[in-house]
Amino acid sequence: MRVITYIEAITEALAEEMRRDERVFVLGEDVALYGGVFKATKGLLDEFGPLRVIDTPIAEELIVGAAVGAAAMGMRPVPEIQFSDFASCGFDPIVQQMARLRYRSGSAWTCPMVLRICCGGEIGGGIYHSQTNENWFFGTPGLVVLAPSTPHDAKGMLKSAIRGEDPVIYFEHKRLYRWIKGQVPDGDFTVPLGRADIKRPGSTLTIVTYQLMVHRALEAAEVLAQEGIDVEVVDLRTLLPWDREMVLESARKTGKVLVVHESPKTGGVGGEIAATIMEEVFDYLDAPVGRLAGPDIPPMPFAPVMEKEYMPDAEKIAAKARALAAY
Amino acid sequence: MTTDVLNNSKPASAPAGLSAEDQRRLYYFLIKTRLFDERCRRLFKQGRFPGTYFSAVGQEAAGVGSAYGLLKDDIIAPSHRELGAYVTKGIPLVHFLKQIFARANSSDKGKSHPCHYGSTEHGLYTPASTMAGQLPVGVGMALAFKIRKEPRVCMAFIGEGGTSRGGFHEALNFAGIHDLPNVFVCMNNLWAESVPAKLQSRIEKYSDRAKAYGFPGVTIDGNDLLLVYSTVKAAIDKARSGGGPTLIECLTYRWYGHSEIDPANYRAPEEVERWKKRDPVLLYEQHLDATGIMSASDREEVKRGIDKELEEAIAFAESSPHPEAEDAYDDVYSFSPNPNFTG
Repeated sequence: MRVITYIEAITEALAEEMRRDERVFVLGEDVALYGGVFKATKGLLDEFGPLRVIDTPIAEELIVGAAVGAAAMGMRPVPEIQFSDFASCGFDPIVQQMARLRYRSGSAWTCPMVLRICCGGEIGGGIYHSQTNENWFFGTPGLVVLAPSTPHDAKGMLKSAIRGEDPVIYFEHKRLYRWIKGQVPDGDFTVPLGRADIKRPGSTLTIVTYQLMVHRALEAAEVLAQEGIDVEVVDLRTLLPWDREMVLESARKTGKVLVVHESPKTGGVGGEIAATIMEEVFDYLDAPVGRLAGPDIPPMPFAPVMEKEYMPDAEKIAAKARALAAY
Repeated sequence: MTTDVLNNSKPASAPAGLSAEDQRRLYYFLIKTRLFDERCRRLFKQGRFPGTYFSAVGQEAAGVGSAYGLLKDDIIAPSHRELGAYVTKGIPLVHFLKQIFARANSSDKGKSHPCHYGSTEHGLYTPASTMAGQLPVGVGMALAFKIRKEPRVCMAFIGEGGTSRGGFHEALNFAGIHDLPNVFVCMNNLWAESVPAKLQSRIEKYSDRAKAYGFPGVTIDGNDLLLVYSTVKAAIDKARSGGGPTLIECLTYRWYGHSEIDPANYRAPEEVERWKKRDPVLLYEQHLDATGIMSASDREEVKRGIDKELEEAIAFAESSPHPEAEDAYDDVYSFSPNPNFTG
């Protein structure tokens, strides 16, 4: 085992998959010469050359649409959208081409590709460089939506996604890039998609969350443990289609569930999870399913005091969990 | 609208290298497209299939002439009104009819609505209905050919209305930068549903847009089959040999509404009549008569053969089974609907 950062995990996965399979190539804004605005694609141009590491114009519809076309021709494109906020510019090919090509053609045409999208707050990026917007795509069947929280999952899930046959949106959280380090196996490994992961077992209540909020939930769990509240943290990892089985099993076990995410509360992933828990395992619940999410304002106000107000954090999670435990 | 390209009173003569046999085959595809299209319009009016129908009547020469120069491994990224191109790519009529009738044995298994045909075997990408969406996709196909050093071409179609979309600009700009093996064919039929071309753009020739991307653009009479063929064939050869993309605007006209539920009463009857006199089938038949390449009686025999294929295809498609309701859950992912999949 080795210890690497979250962004190193992504770079390693890309390079290893490009070495393994010559059909894999990357394209996007600043991905080649500059190595990506966050350096996730650093070194790829030197190793794989300009035909497989392609700097594009500022044109998200082209980036995504061209990847769809290349995928339909048997390539394995890994396009990048450097800020999730700019995914709006690629909305048409993401929703109408990527997500629906297999369905509308009766599986005659398929779209095996991985769209990497850099997302997330706590970085002082303001309204157009900070949001998490997985909720825009959560209601689009046909897409696989991933949101890993650790270097291990980031690397193993990216490899699984590139090797798969489906169109994947791979959200990578900017705050995690260099802050989060973790162990990864030395050799090649993959992490299965569609499976949640219990990052901390517990018995009092369950927190279901993903990405940056996994780490904030783990921090909160440490504090709550001092108070005798034993929190189970379920990391969804795959948001669409999400792991109902593991979430429902944890809900049955603890009887109390809090769903946490960074995106605005209304229309968020949390509502769907809460509703499903209540539909499926209501008789096991000892309290209404709680939600802690970003407020219903456009993410992300820039002034530091307002960004802090927006972001769920360990303290807010602990307060909400404490109340749930006492219910 | 620019009319100077239409001033030639008779069709172009056959380009060098186009044999009499080629010219008879071109007629076969042209009249096959017309007969199929008119028959499908009738089928819709008879209530034989749901949804609607998007006919390409009046635009056959632009579709047939564009695709005749393609090779088997080349790909078409269609808009939706280039039936002539799909027929010319060799797709049998029964393939279209199974799709229109939304039967279980259609290649899309009844998922897409009429005229959104696709075929991996014949290199026809199944389109979405968002105009210009196929252009970035077609550019990505050409990018794949370039990366793999394959001598293949992607021909992407767009209407003049679709050129207003951002995807048109993003796609052609990128194709120009990388000299991608694309041929862009703009079917300018003067109307984007009910919006006339003059409200689509201030420019008169849509091919002028190519200047902005650093590659050639040309506007031609899209109802002149041989002219379309020779112009587009040159662009195909250029793209295949690494010479980069071309934008070809085919000036043409759709005789009927955007679809069969559109009465098209926003157009002056005189305009429609004027264009019907420039019927691409009639113009090409005049060429065949003048050159003696194909007699009227030979043409009648060809039509009888097509009618036979058509009626057999209709009977087969219409008697094919409908999909089951639960088939709606298939084709979402590569794995079954079970959410606990492993990638």
